[in-house]
Amino acid sequence: MQAGIDSQAGPGAPAKTSLDARQTSTAPGLRLEMESVSLVYQAGTPFASRALNEISLVVEPGERLGIAGPVGSGKSSLLAVLAGMEAAASGRVLHDGREVGGKNPPAPGSIGLAFQSPESCLFEKTVYDDVAFSPRRQGLADGEVRRRVEEALAATGLDSSRFGHKSPFSLSAGEQRRVALAGVMAVDPRALLLDEPTAYLDPAARRELIARLVDLNRRTGVTMVMVGHDMQELAAFAERLVIIDGGRKAAEGAAKTILTDVDLLDTYGLDPPGTVVLSRLLSVATGRDIPAVTGEEEAVGLLLRLMADGGIMSPP
Amino acid sequence: MKVNNMISGQYYPGSSFFHRIDPRAKILAVSAYAVVLFLVAGFGGLVLLAAGLAAGIFLAGVPPSWLWRGLRPVLLLIAITFLFQVFLTGGEELARLGPIPVYREGVFRGAFLALRLMLLVLSGSILTFTTPPVLLTDALGRLMSPLTKIKIPVYELALTMTIALRFIPTLVMETDRIIKAQKARGALAAAGGPVARARGILPVLTPLFVTSFRHADELAVAMESRCWRGGRGRTVRRKLAFNRRDAAFGLALLALLAVSLWVGRFQPGELEIWR
Repeated sequence: MQAGIDSQAGPGAPAKTSLDARQTSTAPGLRLEMESVSLVYQAGTPFASRALNEISLVVEPGERLGIAGPVGSGKSSLLAVLAGMEAAASGRVLHDGREVGGKNPPAPGSIGLAFQSPESCLFEKTVYDDVAFSPRRQGLADGEVRRRVEEALAATGLDSSRFGHKSPFSLSAGEQRRVALAGVMAVDPRALLLDEPTAYLDPAARRELIARLVDLNRRTGVTMVMVGHDMQELAAFAERLVIIDGGRKAAEGAAKTILTDVDLLDTYGLDPPGTVVLSRLLSVATGRDIPAVTGEEEAVGLLLRLMADGGIMSPP
Repeated sequence: MKVNNMISGQYYPGSSFFHRIDPRAKILAVSAYAVVLFLVAGFGGLVLLAAGLAAGIFLAGVPPSWLWRGLRPVLLLIAITFLFQVFLTGGEELARLGPIPVYREGVFRGAFLALRLMLLVLSGSILTFTTPPVLLTDALGRLMSPLTKIKIPVYELALTMTIALRFIPTLVMETDRIIKAQKARGALAAAGGPVARARGILPVLTPLFVTSFRHADELAVAMESRCWRGGRGRTVRRKLAFNRRDAAFGLALLALLAVSLWVGRFQPGELEIWR
């Protein structure tokens, strides 16, 4: 490790400028692509099980893609293969057109991958050190590391000066989750892949995290893929949605189209967003053709409009 | 790959004759086989024992590739044993490797010991190939149950072993997950000197320990909340009972061991190297 730091100490300045150049670049997002990818666990043993089956998928640079599906449908496996962390049994995974997986790891620092409950991978003595781990590994200068850590913690809603010196193990589960996600974001990846980042968080924290992710994506243009099971959350996050079932791609399309297709969601045991249910109920109650809405703000707007033109009674 | 192999462990699922034999019978059989293996002094007995084992392997329906997997870890040991015997046993000169003489007795004795070790490992593998680990510890506990009379907590020991075995795949999967997650953070570059590399394990070891302790804690609470109170007066769901199949197996094995012992008995003057 010492050698690594020494060798990086010399060209510290150029590293910084190249980083700056990347940040000013207009399309920093990575393009992810899968070509009929299959994945088999424990191949060649009596325990072999097929996790992914001929999946093809493109995630455009800067896009926010949601992945939904029943439990055990292969969502998490899909994420690991898409990240290039798990080698596919057949098919190709491409990052910006370059094949990855197996002996071709993804370009260093290009991928930020957070598995389910990423807080179980915290290990450093302090929050600061844990988040700083990857930037330090990337050989960045101290000042740049500090900037990355503070930015990443801020992006997850934690104040570095308040939490930086604490032990990650002394924090609440929600705070640990944020630290772990900050650790992934501190890599300053070009694609962020998150496996149910809001699982086990309280409702307020979920909403906030999703909002922060969307904000980060809009500010930096980083490609984002999120696996989720809460459709309202996916409605707030995703531009496009893929439904996985039994290791196969069951449906794909604009988030709004899929989330308002109640029958389609029902086929795969997924609950439509509450706002979609609400707009349906309103249609029935008012006898008017009310379009399904997926966003919570949209739903509020819809209610206000209906109240204004007398479609429904305003509360007494 | 390696991780996956560890998950499947030694058990080869199936329903062969050997799979269905009472695990207690299998444990006793393998123990008896091992003892006879070391009592037999002549090649004839060893060959008979090998034939018996081959029949057992056939009855277990385990593919040869799996046997090879069971044997591979000890091949080096077997090879070293063989070479030691070949070069360090005196007797009638057979050939010369450069300046080193090779004696007939050395080759003979080396081959004998190598075969004996191989049979020992393979007979053990048959047991683990055809018996799920949980059933194995269960049977061990049952076999040792007379020891409770002298205040040895046999049931608790067996349970501890069962839990340990049960958590191996869990921890292996956990490790796999942590390794992947840390790799994604660039935390596992295997570069630098030994100190750097040892430090490089920390990102895996620390979370693994934290998770293991949490698992242990949760399990303890879960067991207590389900009124676990030790082994006294406990009944079991899977009752083990010896049946005709076990009896037939036992008799066949006894016959094999007896004949092997007689054929391979120590005969003075025949092999002075077996002092």
